[in-house]
Amino acid sequence: MARTLHQHRRPLLRPAVGGPPARLGGLQKERPTAIIIAARRLNRAAGIIAISVLFDSAMEHYRGNFHNKAMWTPIVTSLSSIAVSAHGLADGRHRAHPVRDAVYVAAGFVGLVGTGFHIYNVTKKVGGFNWQNLFYSAPLGAPAAMSLSGLMGFLAERVRDNHPEGEPRVFGLPAGRVVAAATGLSLLGTTAEAGFLHFRGAFHNPAMLLPVSMPPVAAGLLAKAAIGRAGASRTPSKAWLAATAVMGVAGVALHAYGVSRGMGGWRNWRQNAFAGPPLPAPPAFTGLTLAGLAALALLREYAHD
Amino acid sequence: MIEPPRYPGYDVLAKRNTPSWDAVTRRVIDERLATPSTPRFFTRKEWLTADALCRRIVPQPGEIDPVSLVALLDAKLFANHGAGFRDADMPYMQDAWRKALAAIDRDARAQKNDRGFSDLSEEDQDALLSAMQHGKISGDRWAGINAKTFFERRILVDVPPLYYGHPKAWNEIGFGGPASPRGYVRLDGDRPDPWEAIEASPGDEDKADRENRRVV
Repeated sequence: MARTLHQHRRPLLRPAVGGPPARLGGLQKERPTAIIIAARRLNRAAGIIAISVLFDSAMEHYRGNFHNKAMWTPIVTSLSSIAVSAHGLADGRHRAHPVRDAVYVAAGFVGLVGTGFHIYNVTKKVGGFNWQNLFYSAPLGAPAAMSLSGLMGFLAERVRDNHPEGEPRVFGLPAGRVVAAATGLSLLGTTAEAGFLHFRGAFHNPAMLLPVSMPPVAAGLLAKAAIGRAGASRTPSKAWLAATAVMGVAGVALHAYGVSRGMGGWRNWRQNAFAGPPLPAPPAFTGLTLAGLAALALLREYAHD
Repeated sequence: MIEPPRYPGYDVLAKRNTPSWDAVTRRVIDERLATPSTPRFFTRKEWLTADALCRRIVPQPGEIDPVSLVALLDAKLFANHGAGFRDADMPYMQDAWRKALAAIDRDARAQKNDRGFSDLSEEDQDALLSAMQHGKISGDRWAGINAKTFFERRILVDVPPLYYGHPKAWNEIGFGGPASPRGYVRLDGDRPDPWEAIEASPGDEDKADRENRRVV
């Protein structure tokens, strides 16, 4: 229980906004600092994206009958990412955890390798790189979600690895700005994937326009915050990000409706859930926008970067 | 030589009450399986000739319970469900079959001491059909129908699909039957969906047999 002892020996913690000063040790639970709150939000973001990757890759790779042993990789990696993200959510310490760090870095790496695999898969098909193969082979953008989970988790560890009383910094830069910029760019990447596949679906339902319109605006708001004034409350931006997070969850319901429209409906789920819109994909937006909200909270909290 | 089944243990009818089929599919297949084995369109004589002809076009050697193609042909002609067009040099489907079956029988009687086509040996039946196929038959007996054209555009178009439209043939070739409502998810070669038949590789028949009993 050396860790617990260490935890109790920490200096006075910086309180969260408006809260009473945190107390040390004893029976009273410590109030988490803004740094810990942000780090946990990023752990949660990494976990949500990893859950999306777990179910999406499990379904799609089952569809591909796991004919290549490497197709188990995202299952193992996303499960690991979920596990360490849960660990991070429960952890109140101001220090990066080596195992969490290793898993997140591995997730980022696996996502890149997976993208390479999927690109190779397209080149193997008759016709090589053409629209038909890009649309119907293993999706190029999907493994990148694994990298995004790793990136969010990696940022969680960097944010957490700050002194409780200092201004949190990531690689020497203000943490809020780095997380806002990284999240904004990630949202654009995920938007490209959704746009690509919704274009394949001919945007036949107007709701299919939402994931190509709401996240880019959210990305713009995050970019603005990343270079804008620190200490601002940015209530409209938060509301927009929250709405985008809700959209990610609502997307699952809309995709379920899409599956029901397939011939045979849900009774024929063994075909329609696999050949129809992917149920687990939309929450990737939820994970990223929650990370964006963590960035905005950091920017609000630390006004003197 | 009779080969062992390529898809041992596979019965497409096991899909009847699964999500693979719906009410419409069940009705169509039920009707096909309940096709009467007595003539409704053909005369008795035409039936015998058509029966012999179908057996030479799609032989089912060693089959204990062969698919009755003449019954299916009779049903098709009785319902008169054509392809929706008529070749300019051929009569309508029903008329073409009646005239051609009569002509085939007359050809057989003219060549073989008044023995009808259905009474010929398989070799003689094949010889007559082969002569038709290669354009070596003509004359008044054919009442203006070109025997070669009839062979190519009616016999070859009408008879084999009757066999391959029957669930028995689907079991033989591992076909899933109507993809209605359930179609397929794994579209690449040699990547069967769980509800598809598994082809037995030599020596692995038992494994295929086991897997084919749960393709529903």
